[in-house]
Amino acid sequence: MPSTPTSPASYQLALQQLCDSALPTGAFAHSLGFESYIDRGLVHDEASFGVWLAAFVGQQLSYSDALAIRFLYEDVPVTELDALLTAQLLPRQLREASIKMGTRLLEIGAEIFPSPELAEYRELVGSGRAAGHQPLAFAVVARSLGVPLPEALAAYLFAAVTSLTQNAVRAIPLGQNAGQRLLRQAADDVVAAVRRAGSLDRSDFGAVSPGLEISQMRHERQRARMFMS
Amino acid sequence: MSTTAAVEPPAVASPMGELELRIAVRGEKSVAVHQYHRGALRVLRAHYLDDSGQVCYVVVNPGGAYLGADLYVIHVEVADRAKLLLTTQSATKIYRTPGSFAEQRMRLRLGEGSQLELAPDQLIAYREASYRQNTHITLHPTSSLVMSEVVTPGWSPDGASFRYEELRLRTEIRVESGGKSGLLALDNLLIRPPTHDVTGMGFMEDFSHVGSLIVVDRRVDQALADELHVLTAGNEAYTGVSLTATVDGISGLVLRSLSNSTEELNRLLCACSALLRQRWHGTAPLDLRKY
Repeated sequence: MPSTPTSPASYQLALQQLCDSALPTGAFAHSLGFESYIDRGLVHDEASFGVWLAAFVGQQLSYSDALAIRFLYEDVPVTELDALLTAQLLPRQLREASIKMGTRLLEIGAEIFPSPELAEYRELVGSGRAAGHQPLAFAVVARSLGVPLPEALAAYLFAAVTSLTQNAVRAIPLGQNAGQRLLRQAADDVVAAVRRAGSLDRSDFGAVSPGLEISQMRHERQRARMFMS
Repeated sequence: MSTTAAVEPPAVASPMGELELRIAVRGEKSVAVHQYHRGALRVLRAHYLDDSGQVCYVVVNPGGAYLGADLYVIHVEVADRAKLLLTTQSATKIYRTPGSFAEQRMRLRLGEGSQLELAPDQLIAYREASYRQNTHITLHPTSSLVMSEVVTPGWSPDGASFRYEELRLRTEIRVESGGKSGLLALDNLLIRPPTHDVTGMGFMEDFSHVGSLIVVDRRVDQALADELHVLTAGNEAYTGVSLTATVDGISGLVLRSLSNSTEELNRLLCACSALLRQRWHGTAPLDLRKY
């Protein structure tokens, strides 16, 4: 009979720290495309942002980020996945955002959760053989901490959703309670995305919707903007 | 023509159609130095649209359509300094593919200083159609590639759009030189109308057609991307342009556009290709309807 647990899983607090929106990766500076929808008047309230967020979780985060994390857990070499992400993130700002936040995460990770795998990825980035993408930096650290894949995926996706929602609360703007309702709703999409990421294969990698991509591309030329992407 | 309802294997070993083409420079012109076709794929007689030496080949599918488990294989090599324009005679039509999918595998290899323009007609997927298009392109840092593509919402007897099962158009572009090879761009368009609503915000944005233009050339830079943005801005189509990563000193740009008509997308993509043809090669805009 299992005894009453007296301590959390060894990785629990580390994972919470890694996914806290206070982790200084610069996520507050990126809309990853939703600012284009605000500019066009299509995202303007809680409901319309919820539609965008569901599409973003179901497409971009599932087919790109989540799949990259899963493949890393399945021992696909990090250099190969890094090159795939660089090639697949076609909108320039999105690619730069992933590398910017990934590079910060590599630095922070080296300070607080060092591991040989992380040192190796940092070395690849330092010598120009890899770009250093956010989902891969996260996956390398999470895996070295012993976080099981489903928990790593759920935590990563929910952290991404949380940053984006906080950014939308500031940008649209929305009330704080609306932000919390959005997060509660997005949690179901995150669970579905974790499940979907488990059933996709290599040929699915990077399949993102044309609408999201075009909006991310158009953000480059948007006049007034709060965000870098 | 009809298909049986029996469950067929997802891909057949023997292709329904095969096409091989190797283009090289002979004298002033690019010509086919190797040509092979088998089954339901062939090319029309070579012709020249201008005096640039660029050879034009038109791919024909005499069967007229792709059906379940049909596999089409196309290998094209454009040798050093050769110039090829490859297009199709008519739209690619995918009919019902019950329990299976039709597939096109295309391998394109571009030599040093070579030039390839790929301008197929639009893709139409009918009710209950599944289609996979896998394109692998390998080019040299001095090659020039311009490829365009238009995907329609498909067609069904009741007039409704997006009644097909699945469309996958996956294009991988690698840069190769001195025995080294690097991935430049991976463009993966996957539309599966039965699994979720693809029509609205975050997917097709209430448009029906999607068009893409990919340009890889040493002369691609941010200024060119901005120029193509300005060129396309006046249309009703919703368009984005962005630069790819850089590999071995060469970058690409991807233009993606949503619209409600094939004609508008063709006009927009042609305007972009006309600008590039004029500036880089001094040739006139393509008028593919003249033959």
